[in-house]
Amino acid sequence: MACRMKYLSKLLIILTALFTLSCSNNSSEVVVYTSVDQIFSEPVLKDFEKETGIKVKVLYDTEETKSTGVLNRIIAEKDNPQCDVFWSGDPVRTIVLKNKGITTSYKSPIAKDIAAVFKDADYHWTGFSARARVLIYNKDLLSEPEVPQSVFDLTKEKYKGNVTIANPLFGTTTFHLAALFSVLGDEKAKLFLSDLKKNKVIIATSNGDVKKRVMTGEVSCGLTDTDDAFEALKEKENIGFVFLGQEELGSLIMPNTVCLIKNSPNTGNGKRLIDYLLSKETEAKLAKSCAQMPLHKGVETPVGVPQLDNILPMKIDYGETSQKLEEIQNYLKEWVEN
Amino acid sequence: MGRKLTNHPLYFAVFISFIILVVSPLVYVLLTIFFEKSPAGNFSLLISIDTLFLLFKSISIASAVAVLSTVFGTVLGFILYKTKIAFDGFFKVALLIPLFLSPYILAVAWKDFFVLLFGSSSFISSHTGLIIVLTTIYTPLSMLITGSALANINSQMEESGLVITNLRNMIFKIILPLIKPALLTSFVLVFIFSISEFSVASLFGLRVFTTEIFTQFSAFYNHSLAILQSALLIAICVLLLFSERKYISDAPFLSIDSRGTNKKLYPLKKHKLLVLAYLFLWFFTTVVFPFLVLFIQSFKGGTDKFFQAVELLLPTFSNSIALALLGAVLIVLVGFVSAFHSLNQNQKSNSFDNLLLLIFAIPSTVFGISLIKFYNNPGLDFIYSGFGIVLIAWVGKFSFIASKIIGNAIRQIPKSMDEAAQIEGVPFFTRQIKILVPLILPSLFAAFIIGFIFSLGELSTTIMVYPPGSELLPIKVFTIMANAPQSLTSSMSLIVFSLTLVLISGFFIMVKPLAKKYSSSND
Repeated sequence: MACRMKYLSKLLIILTALFTLSCSNNSSEVVVYTSVDQIFSEPVLKDFEKETGIKVKVLYDTEETKSTGVLNRIIAEKDNPQCDVFWSGDPVRTIVLKNKGITTSYKSPIAKDIAAVFKDADYHWTGFSARARVLIYNKDLLSEPEVPQSVFDLTKEKYKGNVTIANPLFGTTTFHLAALFSVLGDEKAKLFLSDLKKNKVIIATSNGDVKKRVMTGEVSCGLTDTDDAFEALKEKENIGFVFLGQEELGSLIMPNTVCLIKNSPNTGNGKRLIDYLLSKETEAKLAKSCAQMPLHKGVETPVGVPQLDNILPMKIDYGETSQKLEEIQNYLKEWVEN
Repeated sequence: MGRKLTNHPLYFAVFISFIILVVSPLVYVLLTIFFEKSPAGNFSLLISIDTLFLLFKSISIASAVAVLSTVFGTVLGFILYKTKIAFDGFFKVALLIPLFLSPYILAVAWKDFFVLLFGSSSFISSHTGLIIVLTTIYTPLSMLITGSALANINSQMEESGLVITNLRNMIFKIILPLIKPALLTSFVLVFIFSISEFSVASLFGLRVFTTEIFTQFSAFYNHSLAILQSALLIAICVLLLFSERKYISDAPFLSIDSRGTNKKLYPLKKHKLLVLAYLFLWFFTTVVFPFLVLFIQSFKGGTDKFFQAVELLLPTFSNSIALALLGAVLIVLVGFVSAFHSLNQNQKSNSFDNLLLLIFAIPSTVFGISLIKFYNNPGLDFIYSGFGIVLIAWVGKFSFIASKIIGNAIRQIPKSMDEAAQIEGVPFFTRQIKILVPLILPSLFAAFIIGFIFSLGELSTTIMVYPPGSELLPIKVFTIMANAPQSLTSSMSLIVFSLTLVLISGFFIMVKPLAKKYSSSND
């Protein structure tokens, strides 16, 4: 009997320890889930913690893994939200959450000089620091005059089997194709994708994989985001990139987006974090760490970081494009699989 | 073993806790899907030609991996456990390394190896490549299972066989039929591991049933269909397990030491060099090559990135190791109780054992979502927002392995020892602590170490449930890997690889004298 009591008391100690470990909720904290790569998001969030004294509890995920963890977790937590703020690397995921009724409206005073196109009409999400879709190429395989200048060039015979794009069911590639459908119309966009397939485009697993394949010379060029292109440039000198469609459709600009979760446990702190993320200081930090383009005017950026003013942007409405994305997703699935 | 543990409060407490904490979330999620408003659409998608074709493809790949792993594993098992070969102790441990590493890290190394050598990864990123990589990962499991069976064969049977026929015939007519349960167990377990594996196929850009489940989760956010598809996968695994349950329960799965058997070892004579070459080739292909690829990529631009990786990962070590230690204790507890109960039941399989197996076979993403949906309510916040949910995930995933290791050790203890103590009036708990536990200590220790290593490296469920604000080793490696330079990515993989090597070596050094001490005291 004494022995049994000893075991039960040990079990009780373990459970108590677990309970103590678990119960650490307090009002001076904020919980943020982010799909922005940890290597870039962590320093910004640590600075917020230092400057405000508010403890930041972060759940990281990566675009590389299609953000399965955080996004599905926010959806699964819908009835009992744990997260206050969702910081996404693109507008798609925040719009998915808005459409599922998971976000709430917050009009940040900090974002008043950010262009309306980068904000939700009902203020469920707000954009900041943007990336663009670019074509990355291997200089050993393509000389300057040979580099494609438009997405339509990628369907030309001379690039057959030498172009790669990430799986369009996930991440920023999905949004890029949805934007093309919005701008071109379904018929033309489908024709483009069909030509691309006929030209034996290689479907990579992610933008990171696109970068890797171009760097190793497995293919001569591929579509990816500016941050991947800058990382590639840091690693290898034989890499170049161009903004496509500068004389016709323009390049797709993808801002980071941030949203407040409905009925979140620390709404006040969540709003403070959103304000912080939307500030010029954060945009300057992201310009420095991963060459993201500020949406505020007058933010200091390092040499080499492109300026939004110098790029012809693709004219899209982010909300409508996300709607389009939902419509074409089954088509894209078929396109990938067949 | 005297008084049945089935009637004991400890068994009752552990079994009920397992049902409530681990099994209920799955039942809850399945029920919510079956009773949701319009499940018909998902059901029709579930039985579409495309889904069935994918399922057939995954079954074919998993069968190929299971057959190849069992064949290679049996050959390796025979060489290491039934022949007199040099460095057998080294190979028995070294060849296990791929089993303890994340398949994702090994697949990255294989892909990089092909790019470095041939300038293209197209061969390895194919269905054939997938089968090859999975075979190299799961062959050690087959080697362990069949090796344990071979080590347990009574030598008198082999000697009698050799009197009437030659070695070749004896192997095919006596040894292989004797280890049939182990061969079937190896096939079934490797099949389950392979069909549930997602990361390698995803990295290679191949479409299989698990990647389809993932697509439904992450591109369409259709949790219901993804869980229904997983249920189909679980049903196949369970059917397979049940059809072979007699053999599986008989197989000496993962023996750490063998008692009471007279082991016969065969001299290799003129084939010695050939066999050693085969062992070294396997070792180089499955362990050294991936390690070298990671090493070259880590240091080709200097040592900066390696030290940066150490700096990034260092803060996660204490948290991760402490939690994995606690996880391993719980895994051993559940494994011990289940194994003890299983061996005291008359029927060949029992509900606790089957539940452990069922959870073990479930795709990680589904298990993660089930845990989130079940625990994320205000009353259970103390589990959901802390490490409790991570521990529950690990116990669910790894207790089956612990149960099999411990079960095999208990099976080798003569019942007469417990009965003698019982006649003397020694109480139940004292008998277990003073007699049973010391005798199975090496196996308990092995289960603890395996539970610890698996928990420390578990990624796919942990990433779904880990609490915000915490830092765990595999999560940090995975989230930093994205967008990090190749050399930093390789350095982090190399650190995880090396940590695993150190832990396995440590385990080997600690368990060897322990096994020797207790087997000699038993003899």
